[in-house]
Amino acid sequence: MKKVFFIIAIFVATGLSAQTKYQKGMQKAFGLWKKGQLTEASQLFERISKAEPENWLPAYYTAQVEILSGFGIKDESKLNAKLQKAQEFLDIATSNSENNPEIIITQALLNLVYIAFDGQKYGMTLSGKNNQLYAKAIALAPNNPRVILGKAEWEMGFAQFFGKSTKPYCSQIKKAIELGKKEKIEQEFYPKFQVKRAEEVLQKCQG
Amino acid sequence: MMKRILLLLFTISQFSNVAQTTISGKVIDSKNRPVAGASIYLDGTYDGSSSNDNGEYEFTTEEEGLQTLVISFISYETFIKTANVASFKNSTIKLRDDVNTLDAVVINAGTFEAGDNAKVTALKPLDVVTTASAMGDFVGALQTLPGTSTVAEDGRLFVRGGEADETQIFVDGIRVFTPFTPTPNNVPTRGRYSPFLFKGITFSTGGYSAEYGQALSSILLLNTIDEPDQEKTELSFLTVGLGVGNTQKWGRNSLSINTSYINLAPYLEITPSRNEWIKPYQSMSGETVYRHQFKDDSFLKLYGAYSYTELDVVQEDINFDDGVLFGLQNRNLYFNTSYKTKFGNRWKIATGASFTNDNTNIKLANNKIDSNDNSAHFKVKLHKRFSSRFRLSMGSEYFVTHFKERFSPINNTKFNYGFNNNIFASFVETDLFFSKNLATKIGIRAEKTGLLNEFTLSPRAAISYKSGKNAQFSFAYGKFFQNPRAEYLKFHEDFSSENTSHFIANYQSVKQNQIFRIEGYYKAYNNLVKFDTQVPNFTSNFNNNGSGFAKGIDIFWRQNQKIKNTDYWVSYSYLETERDYRNFPVAATPNFAPRHNFSFVAKHWVASWKSQLGLSYAFASGRNFKNPNKPGFLNDKTKTFNSLSLNCAYLIDQQKILFFAVNNVLGTKNIFGYNYRNTPNGNGFFDRQARTPDADRFFVIGFFWTISSDKKSNQLNNL
Repeated sequence: MKKVFFIIAIFVATGLSAQTKYQKGMQKAFGLWKKGQLTEASQLFERISKAEPENWLPAYYTAQVEILSGFGIKDESKLNAKLQKAQEFLDIATSNSENNPEIIITQALLNLVYIAFDGQKYGMTLSGKNNQLYAKAIALAPNNPRVILGKAEWEMGFAQFFGKSTKPYCSQIKKAIELGKKEKIEQEFYPKFQVKRAEEVLQKCQG
Repeated sequence: MMKRILLLLFTISQFSNVAQTTISGKVIDSKNRPVAGASIYLDGTYDGSSSNDNGEYEFTTEEEGLQTLVISFISYETFIKTANVASFKNSTIKLRDDVNTLDAVVINAGTFEAGDNAKVTALKPLDVVTTASAMGDFVGALQTLPGTSTVAEDGRLFVRGGEADETQIFVDGIRVFTPFTPTPNNVPTRGRYSPFLFKGITFSTGGYSAEYGQALSSILLLNTIDEPDQEKTELSFLTVGLGVGNTQKWGRNSLSINTSYINLAPYLEITPSRNEWIKPYQSMSGETVYRHQFKDDSFLKLYGAYSYTELDVVQEDINFDDGVLFGLQNRNLYFNTSYKTKFGNRWKIATGASFTNDNTNIKLANNKIDSNDNSAHFKVKLHKRFSSRFRLSMGSEYFVTHFKERFSPINNTKFNYGFNNNIFASFVETDLFFSKNLATKIGIRAEKTGLLNEFTLSPRAAISYKSGKNAQFSFAYGKFFQNPRAEYLKFHEDFSSENTSHFIANYQSVKQNQIFRIEGYYKAYNNLVKFDTQVPNFTSNFNNNGSGFAKGIDIFWRQNQKIKNTDYWVSYSYLETERDYRNFPVAATPNFAPRHNFSFVAKHWVASWKSQLGLSYAFASGRNFKNPNKPGFLNDKTKTFNSLSLNCAYLIDQQKILFFAVNNVLGTKNIFGYNYRNTPNGNGFFDRQARTPDADRFFVIGFFWTISSDKKSNQLNNL
């Protein structure tokens, strides 16, 4: 009889395997993303987000894919559609996880795509917003390497524009890399620190 | 026992493995072309796929029974179907175009929009402060758009043969009764409000929505920002005054306060002026905005502004050897509140109210005129979105005006007069999209005026057709009523409303960083007020028998970045207009309506200097005036108007800007018209005096400094 219950327990556990389904789905989406199949990746994240309405991560990644693929788009109507979708999913993510520094810096990234597209049209209103967003993020998570790097990069952009030295930001980037290497991710699929990219940014800062 | 249970469990799990359904089909668009990259999925599940280049998709699911199939793709309406999962096989699904995307048709005849949300941006928010001739005045930037006439001594908007008071200004949909600061003759006025308060500006030169009334020619809609971007303190130091502003944010609230003080005395010390200033122009103003964003995206905004202006000047006048004394004191209080929320099934409600108290004391020669105007506006507007293709809006509004004036002539008895008026209006309007390429807006407005005891109906209609990827045609028609101005109503009340009909045809082509538009129009004026004295007064005989017309063509071209770091636009307006109104003996082209208006604005960013250089050039053909030495009325023309303005903004760093601007840098001697002596000289000839600006050139040097809290923290962190 014990055996039976044991077997039933296994069946029940695997039957209620939403966790593994989620893991499988997320892994598949990351795989698609890595392969450059952005549409498929974004759509899979979107489906996961709809099926897991209380989890901020899939919505966060749906937005992330759309935002990162928005850089360099020349057609305003296309860009707008993409970023509106990204905004919609960032809002979903925010409603599931308020005051989350990862979401806040992604919002700043979204604004940056608009600014990069047309600085005259969006620069005045959005750059102030971004200053505010980074200030809020760093207050919430002073030792988050992604926040430190994002903020330093944003401010470096301004310093370059105004012909000032970018040196002061090198130490921040180094600090981010250090923290990033040490960082232990506790939640599965939590955003990871991209050490390689950070080192590229560091080179720019020193160069 | 055990065996049985195991068997049961295996069969169940077997069964669920077997129950895999394949979902397949094809996605096409309205023209039966395959749609690639669409997302197809069962709602609430992980199961889904993307369509391939042929629009085909296929995926399997273990779900059973009733399921919802969703097909979504950017720039199409999302397709949703709930049915048994087995039925989702080999179906061809046609997606409808989403009519709310950026590349869909826009109803735009007559309208220029500026701001982040505009689909087509003629002006950008920064243009207001970086246009050389604008001098930081939002109205100044609009004067470089086609459809406006150059009337440099006035400063207000003269649109398509209309007088300046035929343009009404609204903040967040609520009327502004006294948007301009008062000035003496031949000194242009400025808008009272800071351009940085607004995130969007819509300027319509005709054919506008039924939501707006009491404007014969034009409306200017200013929308305030919902949420300031950051906490900051702003300081500005100008050759003509100072300004301080501060913004605070907490929770879902924000509060901004701006104050400014302007005094022209130091400026007039160092630059020549044609007038003799006893008390140079001096003004003190303050404005404050409180915004609250509720949890459900509802908004409450309270806006209040106060300003005080005074001046004393002696202006030359050919009929008075010592000139004429003009003194002015003006107090203006404006309050505007608006509330927006959503309710029920896609309903929106916007309500608001505004109140103005304007008190003016004028000294003219030795006579005094004191006026007091109390006006209020209440409005409620409902908006229902039945679908993305059919929207309805309706609303009602109420205007109240109490106007009192006292005329105190020297050594004579005083006169008290004035009027009270109220207007009740309702409107209903619908937006209909037949497709992504064809849309129409049809509305009607009804108004009941208390003072005139008159009921009017104004139909409005507009239609737009997108003929190609970048091009569209629009047409608009509307009838517009406006009460006679206070200048007449204070002496006489037995009037009808003045009215115009607008007919507009527009072609627009928009590409990335490039706009071209051409618009032709015809405007018929009826029931214009006439009177039979030099100026309206108690002894005038008034009637409503005036009429007129205006017709013309407006052209606008803007291009950005074709020449590196350069943005420029060109406007040209051709205007033919005649009216028989006021005390005109015959129909004639009025003084404020030059036939040709041209303006060119360019901005160039010099990265190595961290500076933006700006240039603007305005040209207008000669303006009519009456020459009593010749037979006829408005029978002569001034020389043409030319003005070249330059500006330069130097970014010292992210927070500090040094600004320099000079208007009419070449010092062209512009003439607005002539004043003639009332009596002829010995030779039977009337001597004249040109109406000219106070000074030919005007310059401003300013320093703007923004201090934001997070910047401070940055610098600390970096140390």
